[in-house]
Amino acid sequence: MNTNEIAISLDLINRHYQEPNRNRFESRYFWEELYPMLATSGFRAIEIPYELVWQFGGRSGVPMNRYCVNTKYGSAAAYRKTLAASGIDRVSGVTFDPNLFMRNGNLDFFFGASGHFAGEALAHAADLGADYLAISPSPCYGRAAHHHPDLESKLDVFTQRTVDLLGGLATKAEGLGVTLVLRHEYWSLFRGARILALLDALPASVKLDCDTASLHVAGLSAADFLTAHIARIGCVHLTDTNFVDTQGIWKTANPEFPETRATQVFRDPGTGSVDLAGIAAVLTRLGYAGPVTASARQTRDPFRALLRTRALLQRIQN
Amino acid sequence: MPNIRYANMCHWKAIPYRQIPNFREFYYEDRTNSAYYSDWDKILKYQAALGFHGIEIAPWDLADILPLFGSPEAFTAFATERGVEVIGMFHGAHASHAADHFDEAVRSGREAVDTIVRFGGTYMNTCPTQNYFGTGPLSRDEVQNCARVMNEIGRYATDHGVKIGLHNEFFCAINLPNHRELIESTDPALVHYCIDTAQIAILGEDLLTFYEDYHDRISTFHLKDTASARQPDSVRYAQDPEIADDGHRWFWEPGEGELDLKGLYRLLKKHAFKGWMSIEYDGSPDLLASMALTRYHLDTELRPIYD
Repeated sequence: MNTNEIAISLDLINRHYQEPNRNRFESRYFWEELYPMLATSGFRAIEIPYELVWQFGGRSGVPMNRYCVNTKYGSAAAYRKTLAASGIDRVSGVTFDPNLFMRNGNLDFFFGASGHFAGEALAHAADLGADYLAISPSPCYGRAAHHHPDLESKLDVFTQRTVDLLGGLATKAEGLGVTLVLRHEYWSLFRGARILALLDALPASVKLDCDTASLHVAGLSAADFLTAHIARIGCVHLTDTNFVDTQGIWKTANPEFPETRATQVFRDPGTGSVDLAGIAAVLTRLGYAGPVTASARQTRDPFRALLRTRALLQRIQN
Repeated sequence: MPNIRYANMCHWKAIPYRQIPNFREFYYEDRTNSAYYSDWDKILKYQAALGFHGIEIAPWDLADILPLFGSPEAFTAFATERGVEVIGMFHGAHASHAADHFDEAVRSGREAVDTIVRFGGTYMNTCPTQNYFGTGPLSRDEVQNCARVMNEIGRYATDHGVKIGLHNEFFCAINLPNHRELIESTDPALVHYCIDTAQIAILGEDLLTFYEDYHDRISTFHLKDTASARQPDSVRYAQDPEIADDGHRWFWEPGEGELDLKGLYRLLKKHAFKGWMSIEYDGSPDLLASMALTRYHLDTELRPIYD
């Protein structure tokens, strides 16, 4: 594995949760100062979370959707030039999470909005020259259950509508030359083996994401998962954690913040319990040549996380 | 009982926990101050300790608060236990200027009123329509459409014990040329006004003159300071001007800007204002520091004038 090819996800900036100085993250200057720091840390590729919330609030300084990029830069091409001038050669991927649209008891609203904006995210990924769109195939189970107390009885309907949505998206992705990848979160309606059944119902062009921390939280081995499904892996997220869910946290409303015992679920890469060096070795042994993205989501300090991640990758490389 | 009670407009971003049972352990995980901003228990205690016994929530908080607490009533009970009551919620009356959007704008406004009632609130400060950019300038008819929507929501709100207060942003399609026209086109018995002291100053109104002119319509305030009064059209009508590219702040804590807030308090005394005043800290890098700084300014500079 050439660790110099590994991308860093912009999810290392804690955009949504309270902390001092968070207001900086909403202004354009912050991001344009960040890009050269990413490059200086040895990352020449980035992954961008596609987030509509910045458009709705008119906070277009956050470059995480098409509206924001067009507002501040005019076009995706002009944004890519800005990135290139800062030492970022490419956008490797875009992620999309539909939790924003699980806000009421209307499934038509959820699937309508999710489908529309996932399509927009896909087109934006193509404009950015990204290799993949990694999509969370469902909102958090607990969030869905809050708005749909009868969720268990709706699972078949929910699954069929998800298949329809993702099938249409897959066709568009093929046409755009972007790989559609399913994320495999521990809090998903399609957690565990359910993700495989979902994948089987979709075109062969759709691949699986392997998020190492998410698997660890669910009590699964990322190395075993990769070995078993390597032909279907379309993206690997190197994430770290110390948390294993033994209390059903996956089905709570806020599963990345365990309510019974507060903990930082996603640790800076290299500071948790996941054997990331071992996973890199497995990827090399299996001949995996697809995208790999490091993610320090939930970090308490993005700039320390950048250096921690680079230090880890140097250890892996050597 | 003082004439003015103080609240905070909620500008906390998502707060992921209700209450952290293992605070010391959580702190030691990475030894940063994130632990101090991660649960509602502490956020509400900070407010109560600094004498802000009300909180005005925002609709964008609901997606996180409701699944976390289960219901508006549960959030209110949790806050009340810590000495804070929910006084109301902000509302954006999107596209109320558009005649063909009347039913949707009224329906949305009524739903927001229902939500506020469940939280136990009595105020709904309402931005009358969306941003100027892409919408303005509004025609006279479009201003009247806004007024009709406000009156209709106001009627429903009044019937449910809630006061709606027009709340103008400096970048709203209702702007300096039609700001007063909208106010005067609404029914004073149904539609009130929330003065956001900084927003209307940036818009181009003189704060003291405006309050003097409309004191009998004022239901509540968003109190904040600014050093950027009377911005030109090119700023107010620009695309997404609220968050400046270079980090320029429009809003400051009371006393850190240039508004004559002591003059305002003299007028509050003159007109015997009674009610809630929400402090707003949008743009602050440190909401807790802003809250403490504001409390000091209130206690030493403004409350001695009128309390």
